[in-house]
Amino acid sequence: MDVAEGEPSRAGDEADGLARALAAIERGRVSLALDTTDLCFLVALRARAERAGLASFEEELLVEVFEERLEQLEPGAASPRKRATHAIQRLRDQRLLARVDGAGVVAAGEFALTRLAVGIVDFFLADELLTRESLSLLTKILREQLVACRAAARKAGADEGAWTARVVQPLRVLVGDLLTGIERRQRGLDAQQEEVVAEVERLLREDWFASVTACEELLERTSATLRELHDVLLQDTTHLSLLLQELEALATKARQAAALEAIRAATEHVERVGAWGGARLKTWSGYYQHVHGFLRDVVRLDPERALSQRLRDRIAGFLDLPFGLFVAAEPSIRLLREELRPVARPPVARPRADRGLVLEEVAPADDPDDVLAARARAALDAGAASLSQVLARVLPAVPAPARYRAAGRVAGVVADAAGRRLDGATPRVRPWVEVPGDLLVEEWTLAPAPPRPEASP
Amino acid sequence: MSGAPERAAGDHAGDQAGDHPAGAADYARLEDVVQDPLFPEVDLALRRGAHVDVTDPERYALLRDAQRHLEPFYLRYGCQLVQADGFVYLLPSGDRLGRRHLSAGEMLVGQALALLLLDPATLRTQGVVPRTLVVARLAQLVGEERLVLALNPRKRRHDRRVAEQTARRELDRALRSLAALGFVTLVDEERLLLRRPLLRFTEPVRGAGDPVAALERLAREGKLTLDVDAPGAPDRPTLDGDDADAQAPPEAEDARGPPGAGEAQDPDDDDDWGDGEAGS
Repeated sequence: MDVAEGEPSRAGDEADGLARALAAIERGRVSLALDTTDLCFLVALRARAERAGLASFEEELLVEVFEERLEQLEPGAASPRKRATHAIQRLRDQRLLARVDGAGVVAAGEFALTRLAVGIVDFFLADELLTRESLSLLTKILREQLVACRAAARKAGADEGAWTARVVQPLRVLVGDLLTGIERRQRGLDAQQEEVVAEVERLLREDWFASVTACEELLERTSATLRELHDVLLQDTTHLSLLLQELEALATKARQAAALEAIRAATEHVERVGAWGGARLKTWSGYYQHVHGFLRDVVRLDPERALSQRLRDRIAGFLDLPFGLFVAAEPSIRLLREELRPVARPPVARPRADRGLVLEEVAPADDPDDVLAARARAALDAGAASLSQVLARVLPAVPAPARYRAAGRVAGVVADAAGRRLDGATPRVRPWVEVPGDLLVEEWTLAPAPPRPEASP
Repeated sequence: MSGAPERAAGDHAGDQAGDHPAGAADYARLEDVVQDPLFPEVDLALRRGAHVDVTDPERYALLRDAQRHLEPFYLRYGCQLVQADGFVYLLPSGDRLGRRHLSAGEMLVGQALALLLLDPATLRTQGVVPRTLVVARLAQLVGEERLVLALNPRKRRHDRRVAEQTARRELDRALRSLAALGFVTLVDEERLLLRRPLLRFTEPVRGAGDPVAALERLAREGKLTLDVDAPGAPDRPTLDGDDADAQAPPEAEDARGPPGAGEAQDPDDDDDWGDGEAGS
């Protein structure tokens, strides 16, 4: 089984499932409409079921519970039975109550709350709170479960059936449920914190200075609970993460994609549960400090709570008797520029041209190539018998970087000036000889120069 | 020359009560304070009118730890280093350091913000409030029309729409100015964080006695001035052509003298309404 193969197909399945669900809701024009009586009815049904251990309700019981609620909400309401029948029908239409007896119209029905109804009711019922005891117990069971999974995974080897039965399913069901249980209690504690915040505000509004001690106690209690839970979570989630890492290593070794998927889901869940403690503690810390500052600087400063009213009056009368608080307002240091002597710039003008200027004839500068050619010719005249001898006389006077080029020029001059004197007996392959400037040239041997004709008198 | 005392990271973070530094630096001499790398920044901020509170733990801790050296130091400049209610600021009394008084717009906004700070309803959001709430509270207390007039001091005859726009601009300007002085922090375009220095705006109403006498006492102590124009007073112009021109006095800024020596204008103000020294 390929471990990596499962992931894209699973994501695709999820997307398909979501699209199908959305299409079904749109097609069926699904909507919910519940008034206060309906909600109270549902909550009361759930409470009755829990109290009496009922899995379903007879129709007569439904009507009785509805009438009780109605009497409380609208004392003396007319036609309670008729309204109960309509309420039951509304809840059935919205799939909040389901008929479970299957007898149709031949007998009175037997009804049960649907999953949707239970979800709605749970939202309104107070969640259980996370306490140190409940958290420790839940994480202990969780750890035992993961240890059992790890032992099963070690024994399972490559047996896919064993992996599914003893690792994947316990991880998905038991571990998932335990973690969800912790999260549900965390939500309960979140809601309780919200209540504490509202309670602090209410206490201050109603009792002002007298409420300081009560507010401080509330804050301290919640802070202590959060700190304690954070510590337990930090310690326990570390253990759980280590166990999950070991399981992941075993699943990777056995190439069990489904197990890996379940382990990763559980790991993410554990991380989320662990992160809750730190995040809540941080948020609460900010609130705690702010409220303490308020109690110290505002409430204790104004025990009679007269300051707000006097300030209100002052603002209302400010335009008749205005005043202004003083604040320091030292401007930035002024930095002066360095003193510079002003530069007298002459006005821009064209120079006057001397139109009577007499032009002077100037000889052009000597051409370097001509100088070189003259030297080469002088060397030939002096009796140089080969190209290398000419170069040996000419090149030392030439700067090193220009010698290569100069050698070419000199060869040209030698060819022009002494071409007729090239030795016909020179072998076909001419020797290479070194000349000044680390250059090698093909040697041209020249025949002796013919005697110069005597000048006629 | 000795160096500044070692300042470990987090030394000046407030404790849980948020008031006292966890590890106070020991400044044996003023020289040690001046050598602290943070000192130039804090000194400049104070001289520009900033209020430093416990939400700025490092700067606040420096001022608290060095209080015994800094008080006589600033006294030589004719300034009082005021430490109260969890914040510190510099209050110049002479003409050695520049000073200005807050404009009427800044005072109105500052007082409305202080009122919000005193309200337990702002605890839930830890002092973060929407700007609109400040304007609503002001309009409720002062009256919308008077507020608009107060924030439109120059015009003799107002178009309501233009006047409201000007008022909104003035309020924005006042908020920015108060933020620069450390009274509030502008969180974003919509919200601001109330800070403890706003309690300065409650000083005139802290006692149960006569508020006018309290103002006069504070004016004698050099904390505020009563010599401020009365924007929006009954003899000011009114909106949309109400016949107020005949009664309207000459524009207040024309009648007022130039700012005194050593006193600064608010650089943010392009008109001089309510700004600058009006005598101390």
